[in-house]
Amino acid sequence: MTTEQNKHLVSRRNLLKGAGAASLLPLLSACGATAISNGTAGRVVVVGGGFGGATAAKYIKRGNPAIDVTLVEPSKTFYTCPFSNLVLAGERSMDTISHNYRELEQVYGVRVIHALAEDVDPVAHTLRLSTGRTLQYDRLVLSPGIDFRWNAIEGYDQQAAELAPHAWKAGPQTLLLRRQLEAMEDGGVYIMAAPANPFRCPPGPYERASMIAHYFSQHKPRSKVLILDAKDNFSKQGLFTSAWKEVYGDRIEWVSLSNDGRVVQVDAARREVVTEFGTRHKASVLNVIPPQKAGFIAERAGVTNESGWVPVNPRTFESERVKDIYVVGDATVAAPMPKSGFAANAQGKVAAAAIVASLEGTDTADPFWANTCYSLISPDYGISVAGVYRLNDESRIIETPGSGGVSPAGAAASFRRNEAAYAVGWYNAISQDTWGTRL
Amino acid sequence: MTPHKHLLHLAFAGLLGLAAVSPLHAAATAEQRQAALLASSCANCHGTDGKLAGSIPAIAGRPASVLESQLLSFKRGEMPHATVMDRLARGYTDEELAILARYFANINR
Repeated sequence: MTTEQNKHLVSRRNLLKGAGAASLLPLLSACGATAISNGTAGRVVVVGGGFGGATAAKYIKRGNPAIDVTLVEPSKTFYTCPFSNLVLAGERSMDTISHNYRELEQVYGVRVIHALAEDVDPVAHTLRLSTGRTLQYDRLVLSPGIDFRWNAIEGYDQQAAELAPHAWKAGPQTLLLRRQLEAMEDGGVYIMAAPANPFRCPPGPYERASMIAHYFSQHKPRSKVLILDAKDNFSKQGLFTSAWKEVYGDRIEWVSLSNDGRVVQVDAARREVVTEFGTRHKASVLNVIPPQKAGFIAERAGVTNESGWVPVNPRTFESERVKDIYVVGDATVAAPMPKSGFAANAQGKVAAAAIVASLEGTDTADPFWANTCYSLISPDYGISVAGVYRLNDESRIIETPGSGGVSPAGAAASFRRNEAAYAVGWYNAISQDTWGTRL
Repeated sequence: MTPHKHLLHLAFAGLLGLAAVSPLHAAATAEQRQAALLASSCANCHGTDGKLAGSIPAIAGRPASVLESQLLSFKRGEMPHATVMDRLARGYTDEELAILARYFANINR
């Protein structure tokens, strides 16, 4: 504990705990009244200001404003992966996918600290920040997103990503890939290496291929898109492949795992890749989306399993491994829910409700989640996949039978146009719900 | 599928006064919190508390009977021009759809 520590974050109760004075425990109930009169109905620290974390912070405050909520997020501006493919296509600016934490601070009373969370001590209930400061928590929420498995593909590390961007976390990488696409001469080939499951945003690579094909069709008509894939099927595959043919002819080529699509080696400087059976491909612009795992703070907290992802209690999204740590978003094992921003937001609300109930000592409500993922084939051609999720009698997450699914095949152009318009409506709504930002 | 316990209570509770649930306060009942959690995913397209209007309409403050009949029409595939709401509405029981309708009807726009 440092002197720098916010006085708010040190309750008398925890000083007592810190003293390790078991004999003083009966006194805690007497201190409870003091704690509540100080406005501390419990302290929650949330790590990560994306769809899952920002939502959890807001909805804990909505559930009980007396709970002290601190959000730890390195960036003052958050760029969303959703709609970053439109930036790559030149259809949107970075400004239109940027969000901030002002509403969380000013309207909801969330304390926001811009720092990197470096380590967790689950026994002491503390989180150490890059600033040297240590925060005490009663409940910790981790929404750490993903990290990349550097060198899982030979030659693809952080340095290589400066030459052959992943652009799978929005921000400078998005702009780097955009500049490369702009600088590419007409007649070039954009190659994307797509990962095996599970990974962030299952339909994302195929929307990206679509949006880049759209850009090429407008500005570089002799250019091609080649997807080298580490799997044999992908999200909304039937809709994507028929739309590609319909809208882009043979501009987009997809090579499946079985057809030697899996990239095993990258030479970023030469923009070359080698696939499993030794085929060499040379790109004009090379985009490698590497294999992924939960963001590193999840490993530090000890909540990941051997797969690198985080198993959770589906009712509350509390870690299966470490008490009082809740994990939401892409980092979790929450199948059949996808790793999407929508799902992260929905999980943030379930965790928020569970945390409010646990701090108040009341019953946790039954969780429900939904998901809708829109993908754009072109700016006026949208497709979607939807799902409604609940717990079954064995407390496993299931998709409600008979619900959800993808947009119909063979729908009219007006249907696709409507879904493209709803994609924009969805983006505006989830941004407002998560950060309060309105564009 | 058997309805969950809180929802059953809620289904029989009839017209609850839910006006105070936005934002939820510490004194919210278990039933109100259950309804709020059931409804919380709706915000991802309709905005917090269903109040955001755009290409997707706001749903807050509309009569419960209208919302309920629309949700049931989506569920039964009787809504012209449905794109995704039919697929979503099929994920809820009729009772759950009624709870959602009452929840949003009781939020002031």
